[in-house]
Amino acid sequence: MRLEKLKKLREKNFLTEEQYANLEVIISRKLFSVSYELTSLLYLGVLLFTTGVGILIYKNIGDLGHLLSIAALSALTLGCFIYAFKKSTPYSSTKVSAPTPYFDYIVLLGCLLFISVLGYLQFQFSLLDERLGQTTLVAAVIFFLAAYRFDHLGVLSLAITAFASFWGLSVSPQQWYHNDFFSSANLHITALFFGTGLAGIALVLHQRGIKQHFTFTYINFCSLIFLVGALTGIFINESSYGLYLILLYMGCALTVYAGYWQKSFLFLLYAVVFGYIATTYFLSDFLVNEAGIWFLYMLLSCGGFVAFVINYRSYFKRQS
Amino acid sequence: MKSAYNETWLYNLLLLKDAKQWQRHKLISEEQLASISAAHSSPFFHPNVIIRILLFLASLIALSGVTGLLTIFVLSISDETGQVISVMSILYGIAAFIFLEAIFIRGAKHYKSGVTEALLYHAMAFVLGGMASITDYNVHITTIGCLIVFSLSAWRYLDLISTLGAVGSLVFLLFYELYTMGGIMQQIIPIVFIVLFTPLYFVIKKQKEKPEAEVWLDCLILMEALMLLIIYAAGNYLVVRELSVNLMDMQIETGQDIPFALLFYFLTIAIPILYIYFGLKNKDVVLIRVSLFVLAFSVFTFKYYFSLGHPEITLTLAGAFLLVVTILLLRYLKTPKHGFTRENILSDKWRNANLEAFVVSQTLGGNHPTATSTDGGAGGSSAGGGSTDSF
Repeated sequence: MRLEKLKKLREKNFLTEEQYANLEVIISRKLFSVSYELTSLLYLGVLLFTTGVGILIYKNIGDLGHLLSIAALSALTLGCFIYAFKKSTPYSSTKVSAPTPYFDYIVLLGCLLFISVLGYLQFQFSLLDERLGQTTLVAAVIFFLAAYRFDHLGVLSLAITAFASFWGLSVSPQQWYHNDFFSSANLHITALFFGTGLAGIALVLHQRGIKQHFTFTYINFCSLIFLVGALTGIFINESSYGLYLILLYMGCALTVYAGYWQKSFLFLLYAVVFGYIATTYFLSDFLVNEAGIWFLYMLLSCGGFVAFVINYRSYFKRQS
Repeated sequence: MKSAYNETWLYNLLLLKDAKQWQRHKLISEEQLASISAAHSSPFFHPNVIIRILLFLASLIALSGVTGLLTIFVLSISDETGQVISVMSILYGIAAFIFLEAIFIRGAKHYKSGVTEALLYHAMAFVLGGMASITDYNVHITTIGCLIVFSLSAWRYLDLISTLGAVGSLVFLLFYELYTMGGIMQQIIPIVFIVLFTPLYFVIKKQKEKPEAEVWLDCLILMEALMLLIIYAAGNYLVVRELSVNLMDMQIETGQDIPFALLFYFLTIAIPILYIYFGLKNKDVVLIRVSLFVLAFSVFTFKYYFSLGHPEITLTLAGAFLLVVTILLLRYLKTPKHGFTRENILSDKWRNANLEAFVVSQTLGGNHPTATSTDGGAGGSSAGGGSTDSF
């Protein structure tokens, strides 16, 4: 935005004198925000520090100085939580804004360090082999508690991913890309139940008016897990995938509805992409395997979709 | 100088984007936004970013269908190969440009709708591909062709990826020409880059200030950042050394170093400091952001050659240092000082709390069935207390 443009708006009386003065300060850079830069640095700091500490603990287990550093880490974790409890306003079911710009990062750091310390204790007392799952569950519980207490979306998504990995599901596109969709057989069924169950819980919480701004994150994970699960079901059951196809279409329909409800086109994107892949796979059983027909299919299906969106552009513009 | 788009509509569209942001930050009221938007109507079809991605993907698949059908048709009526196919590919690309311009931009008034990008890249790919194959993949001519096509596309369609392509082609062309000359020319490549791109940076900065350049503002900002990165890379010790070793077969014995090593050490330290100093002095957001990035790369450069062999200690210390310094800076800026504030007065349009939450879940622990959160090297860089929910 150029200053001349702002002046023009003021001349045409779109802005009051006071608003003009406020905006003029920002646009002429008399007041310059470094909020984005500083919060990025904080995030990077948390990322580097927790990664470094994680490796450090893992590499030096059993050393003499080790117990000392664990004690120091515990103290630091405690410090983070004391700070968080002291600064935060009491729990509220509505959205609470952070008291300081770095509050969110201290909560995040505290949670991650807590998990590191917990993991170490488990390892040291050799509880690891048989109770690996429980550690993940404990981590998930702590993340959930912290997310609700301190109103933290980032910790909430950590909680959901930890909870999913308790069930053996990895919620990471990077891993989906490297391995199969899920690491062992029948996990896609777990994924279907997990997605449905968590979405159900999220809806109940939403209805009760508890942290309604969390609902988007829940639905985001649930729809992805459910749709990937259904699609995996279609791919691995060569002959009898009808049930999974129906489930996938149901999932897509619900995701589209959620998108409408949450005013998010992201869910529409998921539904269209998964629906299109599944439909194409389904049609490949029937269509003649000839290149020309498939090119025509690509042209008609996607061209049709583009034409549809452009035709209903007023609808697609409204929420933007 | 003219772009393919109606300037008044573009002006209005950009103004409305700003006004919406002001409204989100409660700087103006909703009624004011409504009256501004009524007075600055813009008939462009410029949808939300997700819809753009959807339209882009769908258009690309549909266009592949068209290309496939045409290929089958052409192959069925003739068994020509080679030159004829290349010429047809260029003609097809030009036809796609005309189609984009006449049907979508003039006719349906699309502005960066996803469909336009898909058609544009499709058209460029066919023109350039055909040209490369006609010239028998001659690197000089193909790179010059890329430079021209990308520049024209960036200029006419205000497209950022074309801008990136154009700068990339220029860099590659320059490097390639000097490299093939051989001898002393190879040695002075870094100097030539710094000497050529520094004035270019100032030219771009000056262009950016002109009122008539406003429609190209995003392209110019991208170019400005790229120039800064190129100048830095040309002086960076790691880049120069690794390129010398890998491309010019330079043998570096232990105890030896690359020519002018001290100069490059100096530049590796000095350029980030210069960037950060002038960035803060002139409150130049491009300089500040680039400076943070290159500063990190300079630290990495020195760690790479003078490592103590304990990366985890470095990580921990660097993280702790960053956290402490940033928190101190944030506390210092509790009330604005020297015109800087820690408050988020007008956030970037793509900042989004939900997106940031997802980034956190993908880069930090909690994603894997291990107890310690030891992984997380994926390294995202955007996070923060969110502000808008415009997804």
